[in-house]
Amino acid sequence: MSADDDSFHPLGEEWENDLEGMLDDTEYDTDLGMEMAEDAMRVTRGELSEAEFHEKYHDDVMEEFGEDQRPTKEAYEKAQKAQEEAKGTVSKMLSKFEGDGEEPRRDVMKKMGAGAAAVGLGAWGTVDDGGQEEEALAAAEGGEEEPGFGEGEGVQWGMAIDLERCDGCLSCVTACSSENNLDQGVNWMYVLQYEDSSSSNATNSQVSRGAGRAPNRLVRPCQHCTDAPCEKVCPTTARHTRDQDGLVLTDYDVCIGCRYCQVACPYGVNYFQWDEPDISTEQIAEQHDAEPGEEGDHMTDDRGRWVDSRAPRGTMSKCTMCPSRQDGHKGEEMVGTTACEDACPPDAIQFGNMHDETSDPIRYAENPARARTLARVNPPSASDLEESLSGAGTDVDSVIEATDLEQEDLELMVAIDIVTDDLAETDGDHARYEQNIQDALDALSEHGLDFQSQEVLAQLNLADEPESSGDGENGGNGGNGGDGEEFEPDQQQAQVRLEQFAGTPTSNFRLLEDQGTNPNIIYLGNEPGPDAEQVEPTGTGANYEDLSYARADGESASLVDNRKEVLDEGTVGDAGVRLG
Amino acid sequence: MSTKTPTEADILRPIQNVSKGYLALFALCALALGAFLVGWAYQLQQGLIVTGLGDWGSGGGVTWGMYIGAFIWWVGIAHGGIILSAAVRLLGMERYMPVARMAELMTIAGLSAAGFYILVHMGRPDRMVTSVLGHYHITVNNSPLVWDVTVITAYFVLTATYLALTIRYDVVRLRDQLPDRFNPIYKVLTLGYSEEEDEVVERMVWWLALAVIIMAPLLLHGGVIPWLFALLPSMPAWEGGIQGPTFLSIALMSAISGITLAAYGFRRAYDWDHIITDDIFRGLLLWLGFFCMLFLWFQLQFAVNGLFKAPIARAEATQAKVGSPIYRVAIGMIGLSLAYIFATIIRPALFSKKRALIVSVAVLAATFTEKLLFVVEGFLHPVFTLYEATPGEYFPSAIEWMSLAGTIGLVVLVFLTVSKVVPIVELHAIEHLRGGHGHSHEHEHEPVEESTKKPEVEA
Repeated sequence: MSADDDSFHPLGEEWENDLEGMLDDTEYDTDLGMEMAEDAMRVTRGELSEAEFHEKYHDDVMEEFGEDQRPTKEAYEKAQKAQEEAKGTVSKMLSKFEGDGEEPRRDVMKKMGAGAAAVGLGAWGTVDDGGQEEEALAAAEGGEEEPGFGEGEGVQWGMAIDLERCDGCLSCVTACSSENNLDQGVNWMYVLQYEDSSSSNATNSQVSRGAGRAPNRLVRPCQHCTDAPCEKVCPTTARHTRDQDGLVLTDYDVCIGCRYCQVACPYGVNYFQWDEPDISTEQIAEQHDAEPGEEGDHMTDDRGRWVDSRAPRGTMSKCTMCPSRQDGHKGEEMVGTTACEDACPPDAIQFGNMHDETSDPIRYAENPARARTLARVNPPSASDLEESLSGAGTDVDSVIEATDLEQEDLELMVAIDIVTDDLAETDGDHARYEQNIQDALDALSEHGLDFQSQEVLAQLNLADEPESSGDGENGGNGGNGGDGEEFEPDQQQAQVRLEQFAGTPTSNFRLLEDQGTNPNIIYLGNEPGPDAEQVEPTGTGANYEDLSYARADGESASLVDNRKEVLDEGTVGDAGVRLG
Repeated sequence: MSTKTPTEADILRPIQNVSKGYLALFALCALALGAFLVGWAYQLQQGLIVTGLGDWGSGGGVTWGMYIGAFIWWVGIAHGGIILSAAVRLLGMERYMPVARMAELMTIAGLSAAGFYILVHMGRPDRMVTSVLGHYHITVNNSPLVWDVTVITAYFVLTATYLALTIRYDVVRLRDQLPDRFNPIYKVLTLGYSEEEDEVVERMVWWLALAVIIMAPLLLHGGVIPWLFALLPSMPAWEGGIQGPTFLSIALMSAISGITLAAYGFRRAYDWDHIITDDIFRGLLLWLGFFCMLFLWFQLQFAVNGLFKAPIARAEATQAKVGSPIYRVAIGMIGLSLAYIFATIIRPALFSKKRALIVSVAVLAATFTEKLLFVVEGFLHPVFTLYEATPGEYFPSAIEWMSLAGTIGLVVLVFLTVSKVVPIVELHAIEHLRGGHGHSHEHEHEPVEESTKKPEVEA
């Protein structure tokens, strides 16, 4: 299990060895099998076309198995032709739904997906459609192989938000307001503290709350719903879902400012631009060293549509999930991040592709205890470890003694390793944390600490004490199988250790799910009940008015909680009374 | 008030004379409209921040307010007007023929005011054509707002056709007595007229009327307008099937009241007591009572459904609405109007045109208030009530109030202007009053008893 092993499989060398072992047991050629498997992964990554793959192995397969029912290049071309012919019927019919906008295409893809499952042609047809290979292949194979990976629906940006980690500091709010040059009170990201008489749930973990039981909080960006009601009611298509990554955006050049999207959104995430925004488009473009209207101005997206930063007067705005970042206009390292996520000190916000099982949000939601621990454990670097370990003993106590490592940290690191099948193998921020842990564990292993041994794990409270029958310690490292009883690290025990440390969220929910919006934000923590009410922030929670944010004009503005206070200044003849 | 026979001269009188009262009213209305236009210009310059509106949610405001409330109020008046006129033509309610054209004009003027409100409400009215029409083929499948615009446009075309067809008949026959300065208008109006078309036109009008009567409950004020609100599950104050019937009843109440006002004004100004008879006022009042009753019944349905074991959000929304003093005043006004109208059935002596006028004003005020409150209440009590700033605050700004005065001015101006160009009472009505039913005008101004002998709700 090392990070830089030569394994081609995402599940790592160990998994690969197991596969190899399985192939060895069969009557067929193991090398051929492994070679094919490796190339199959290349196909999935889009480095090799499926036709090329089949072409390459056709002869070998015929020799080995005596038959090959998979399509060769000829077969592929035949399929292509059939696809074109089919265009006259089903595809053509479906394409009529397209209109001239891009929006319905997503739906068309979905419909075609259903058709493709039956006919098996639709997916082939999209293989050449640049950038879609992966998706198409996954869709084509989805039926037979593991269905989880990718699910064939491309990218859908979204978030997992750990409400039990939120300390109400409002860093995300200021970061968002600053990044997008928002007017005061336009809180695309909004964090609120609430009391909920219907819920008495509280977590008792060590890290989920810094200082004992903390109040309930809700972090509320736009939910970027898959079935967004705001988009449905828009009379202009200005509010649309971006085809490439499922972001729900507003085309500021098309919006007529009827505000029906704000009316239809159940979450109240929209903010209308009632007057001229404080920061001009020129100032925003200048801030990013670009001309207004060109890519990189933090307003124009990949498609050339004005969807990012604060709205111009008379149009609707809301959280965008940072399309300028996702389009790579702020550098490759910013893709897959948002301003709020970057700013969050306790790492409560995880942004990523909701269709990817290995993305940060999905992994976080899958095992919050593990993810919370990841962010908390900060191991010394491998080189530091190596340095401090020289000459030290190889048992746990000596290692702890010789290094900056705390026993608890080591326990947690090893626990993470045990519960994670593909440590440091995936993309995303978590991989970074995982890598650090992996490097540290590797350094310790190299020094002589055997994390596969029951004795070591028992010392780390991750296994029961071995029965000391005396004859030969069982140092079995999992796969190779020694004689007699084989020791396997207990994943459940490791998980319990993580949960003991980090706690598990009281629930895992999506906001107002019964509204049928299919939101793309997963919340971990207490779900606000119908009687929940916002209250003034307490504890670590900050007041909006106490914080300020910088804008492109070089000035800083203070946050405003209730925007009405700002808007009232512009009202002509404010009577000071209220209806209702 | 002597016994007179309705003549062509009677219906030409508004065209041939200009009184001081007319000029004063015209000036007042022009002033109201002008003042609002100035206000609107300021709004265009500053943005919608000049209104009392805001963002619901953390923003502590309401998204839609008086502009939308007044929009649906005017659309209601317009729809009710054309339903009335269509009923006259379709169901042979000839008694109301003298006010049929006023009802049609009310529709045109009301729709104009409503259309104006759409523009005033928009953040970017300059994009109405490019953004809405440009994506129409996509959005018409989803957006209730687009359905709305579609159906209102269709309705406007229907009504304008209807009105143009019936005006042709009059203009051709009265051409000699009409002022020459409007000659180009008359020429266009009567383009290609031949007497043979009369019969065809009569049939066309009948079919148009049928279309209107079918469309009104299904698509218009019983359909797309309430659907703007009733289809949103996140706003329980709006949601639900009862909104269709409620909206339709409000439309008819407002329209009948509006026509009563217009009829009263014209009768008074031009001594038309032998044309717009007391009988008509009694009849309109009874119909008004009938729709007030329906409205109250629908309100009862809404309230009971929302208060008895309703889901939490809906119960809260209903409680807040029913408990609002403004709502109570509005409903109370309609309740009192209904009580008075019932009383006139039992004791006909209680009827007077002035009282009918007061009732009409009260009902119009009540329906406007109800519409305004209806729009606002949705934002105050959404399903997602977590925000401290929800329920938010709203009160119309000075410019918004000016819009109401301005559009009322606009509608009155339409009446005042049109009445100087074409007869506001159609020739058919005069012919009818003089013709086969000539005897009817003999008892038109005998007070009281007559209408009780012939209850109005015959149709």
